[in-house]
Amino acid sequence: MPLLSLLTFLPLAGGLVLIFFPRERTREARAFALAVALAVFLVSLAVYFGFEAGSGAAQFVERGRWIGYGLDYHIGIDGISLFLVLLTTFLTPIALLSSWKAVDGRLKEFSFFMLLLETGIIGVFVSMNLFLFYVFWEAMLIPMYFLIGIWGGQRRIYATLKFVLFTMFGSLLMLVAIFVLYARYHQATGGQSLAFQDLYGLSLPPGLQTWLFLAFALAFAIKVPLFPLHTWLPDAHVEAPTAGSVILAAVLLKMGAYGFLRLGLPLFPDAARTFLPELSVLAVIGIIYGGFMALAQKDMKSLVAYSSVSHMGLIMLALFSLNIESTEGALYQMLNHGLSTGALFLCVGILYERSHTRLIKDHGGLSRQMPVFSAVFLVATLSSMGLPGLNGFVGEILCFFGIFAANKVLAALAVSTAILSAAYLLWLFGRVMHGPILDPKILDFEDMNRRERLVLGPVVVLMFWLGLFPGTVLRKMDASVTKYLHTVRQKVEVQEKTAGLSLSLSSRDGSVKRFKSHFEGGHE
Amino acid sequence: MNLRALVPLLCLVVGALADMLLEAFLPKKNKDHLGYVALVSLVLSGFFYIRSWGRDLSCFGGSLTLDRMAVVLCLAFVAAGFFLVLMSLKYIVRQDMNHGEYYALLLFALSGAMVMVSSPNILVVFLGLEILSVSSYALAGMKKNDPGSSEAAVKYFLMGSFASAFLVFGLALVYGAAASLEINGIRAALMGRAGSFGPGGWAGLALVIAGFGFKIALVPFHMWAPDVYQGAPTPVTALFSIVPKLAGFAVLFRLLAPLWGGGAAKPVIWWLLWGVAALTMAVGNLAALRQRNLKRLLAYSSIAHSGYILLAVLAGDGAALLFYLVAYLFMNAGAFSALVAMTREGREYVDLDDFAGIGFKYPWIAASFAIFLFSLAGFPPTAGFLAKFYVFSAAVRQGQAPLVVIAVLASLISVFYYLRVIVFMYMKDPLAEVDIETDQPALYLVMFICLCGVIQLGIWPGNLLVLIRQAVASIF
Repeated sequence: MPLLSLLTFLPLAGGLVLIFFPRERTREARAFALAVALAVFLVSLAVYFGFEAGSGAAQFVERGRWIGYGLDYHIGIDGISLFLVLLTTFLTPIALLSSWKAVDGRLKEFSFFMLLLETGIIGVFVSMNLFLFYVFWEAMLIPMYFLIGIWGGQRRIYATLKFVLFTMFGSLLMLVAIFVLYARYHQATGGQSLAFQDLYGLSLPPGLQTWLFLAFALAFAIKVPLFPLHTWLPDAHVEAPTAGSVILAAVLLKMGAYGFLRLGLPLFPDAARTFLPELSVLAVIGIIYGGFMALAQKDMKSLVAYSSVSHMGLIMLALFSLNIESTEGALYQMLNHGLSTGALFLCVGILYERSHTRLIKDHGGLSRQMPVFSAVFLVATLSSMGLPGLNGFVGEILCFFGIFAANKVLAALAVSTAILSAAYLLWLFGRVMHGPILDPKILDFEDMNRRERLVLGPVVVLMFWLGLFPGTVLRKMDASVTKYLHTVRQKVEVQEKTAGLSLSLSSRDGSVKRFKSHFEGGHE
Repeated sequence: MNLRALVPLLCLVVGALADMLLEAFLPKKNKDHLGYVALVSLVLSGFFYIRSWGRDLSCFGGSLTLDRMAVVLCLAFVAAGFFLVLMSLKYIVRQDMNHGEYYALLLFALSGAMVMVSSPNILVVFLGLEILSVSSYALAGMKKNDPGSSEAAVKYFLMGSFASAFLVFGLALVYGAAASLEINGIRAALMGRAGSFGPGGWAGLALVIAGFGFKIALVPFHMWAPDVYQGAPTPVTALFSIVPKLAGFAVLFRLLAPLWGGGAAKPVIWWLLWGVAALTMAVGNLAALRQRNLKRLLAYSSIAHSGYILLAVLAGDGAALLFYLVAYLFMNAGAFSALVAMTREGREYVDLDDFAGIGFKYPWIAASFAIFLFSLAGFPPTAGFLAKFYVFSAAVRQGQAPLVVIAVLASLISVFYYLRVIVFMYMKDPLAEVDIETDQPALYLVMFICLCGVIQLGIWPGNLLVLIRQAVASIF
């Protein structure tokens, strides 16, 4: 059975059915949308359990002629994309459920666009052909554009146009680079192909590589976003509806990092190595700048948005360190960031539904009024800070190990993220949850209702699970990450014949194994 | 003498004449039958074109030759005519226009375009162009009671006659240099050893390009387009934005593309066109940013698209060119049909403010319009994206990466104004009282077909690509 195709297109099919629901049948429509999203999640679980840990190659591969001329339908999943897909399918039903009350009008259309978005995102992660990748990459903009533009806040139109134009700017230049690759492949081999594996084998002159890498890197850096290109993010996050923010922060940003991992670094290793120092510095600036900006925010949503800039900076820095700890740490941290930031946005959304304001100063003393909510908020906060026992810790520590091995100065600067995030998150928690109740309105607030518990419950459980048993994830990642690092390094070493990257793969391998067996021992 | 190549063309002309005759005899309440006559003649013509696929029919000593490329383009014209007639069935009643003349002129315009693409003789091409143009001038002024429409007709006529004059003068010079009016002969002279085609010949070629550039609205010959588009009746505007472009680009391609095939040094003309393409994309898109009238906006957008299409000519890639033209046919016809849908008795809603909030008031019209706009902006998975993909990648393969960078940046600008229309439709509350006639099944059929075309060509263009490759292989 073509499981991956089913996974990719089931949301789309569900969405298309959904449009034909009569307008007054809101209840049925929202239940149907949720059912579709849950079904997609089940399919993705089937993929997870069917996935063999030992192999670094893509699995569940489907390949067929599509348009011809190398533009084929070619999808597959490996240890790198598996968990990003799972994250998407896990968060989509949650995001849908969370908006049952927040989105009062046109819930049907809202759910339609959410499902469309899910197809687009999954498509990006499973594509094994650059053309297909680009189609999903761009097509995904359309539903996001509507989600922010129709259901967003006050400045939604400005935010959504900024989001689309920023992203398009990068991806259109990437498109030109794709054309160049397409032409180069034709020149080199006489055939036509845009399959990832064929392009990995292409050797390109350094000058050309530089241009192509810059085009790809720009597209991905905007998406991540790396430091000077981040300005669309606070706007989009703040104006988007809760569900939109959740998907945006949890999954969409990861597409940028994934792009570096899947395309930017392995396709152009020489150029990448030339620019890694600069990119790493940008990542560090992002960490510190994002942290300080978060400290200064008055609006809860923009605080979380800037914390995303900071955390994504750490993830990128780890990715750019190019060793196995850092890469696995980055991947793990992508999941963590998805969960914790998603949870924080959901919490802010729940508060907003009650108080209709997102300003920190309008809240206070909530913990007495809403004890369960306060506990959940605390877990999300601590997970985002990286408290041991919760998921964030495992990711961060792996990242730091890797970054230290690559560059001690940057690592020392990057560690500031731990302090900064503790500062802005705990301060946020203190101001919102503790202290006297200033606004009498708060006395009317009800604690989380059953639906809201259903929304956040699974996220909290998963946070603990990933904090205590990281082996479930790391084990399936290993082989693919090793293979990826080989791809990146081998090309460099073959071409340069120097041990450019100071670390040899094997010696570091042992330590991470020990590290992981330590964790896995915990639950076996 | 074998007249089979003439049959499809005759179908249209006979249909047009019949329309004019019947107009005199039909009682007023049955005037809409004239539209059906036009439809029948289009269907017949389409049928005969399909039958002539792959037979290379010709008549009049080869002056009319139906090679495969001509057949593909003529079928595109038939489809365009079909869409236009269906769009107009109710429109012309509501806007108080004459039936007989309207349909007859429409069919004449189409037959002119068909002559243009199916003749290897540049003088016959000119003949076709004039048939197309003269019918177009009259069509632009069909809304007798609307001064804007008359203004459009006069403007188009004056500017168009200038352009035709340039074209004829250019042809004369080219004939002097090449001693031939066959496209093949001119090409052979152009590609012959240096000097055989003197400066006069090159100047003539430049004038010819200017003449065509006017018809297909290339910058700097585009000034007429926004005013004429705005004033003309909306289905006629759709005609202007589609038919002359398809025909003009096909002729330019036949005439010029072989000149820069095979890695030969690029002639000056090529660099001239390079500049024109860059300018067209930039000016078209930048000017569109400021438009609040949707017909003007689509006018500038169609200018910008001319720039993209010119890229295909510059790259010498016929398949990419044809694919773009077909995709453009569907998305532009679709977009204009949405504009036609936004009308009622004596009133057309074309201002951006009129579109505010229609997304939830008229969901199907708005959704279709949005998809056409996404396609025009080049978002996947629509035809517009794939068309751009082919053209741009063909250009990059020919080493034109800088021009493609200009093109993608220009299309980034275009994203802004296309999306702004969608912003108005979906993200703003209604600003003006809008009340449209919703009982127009024929028009919705057009929208539906165009929608299918836009999506099918974007997702699964397989068969069309095969046909197009065959068509392009047939011409050189």
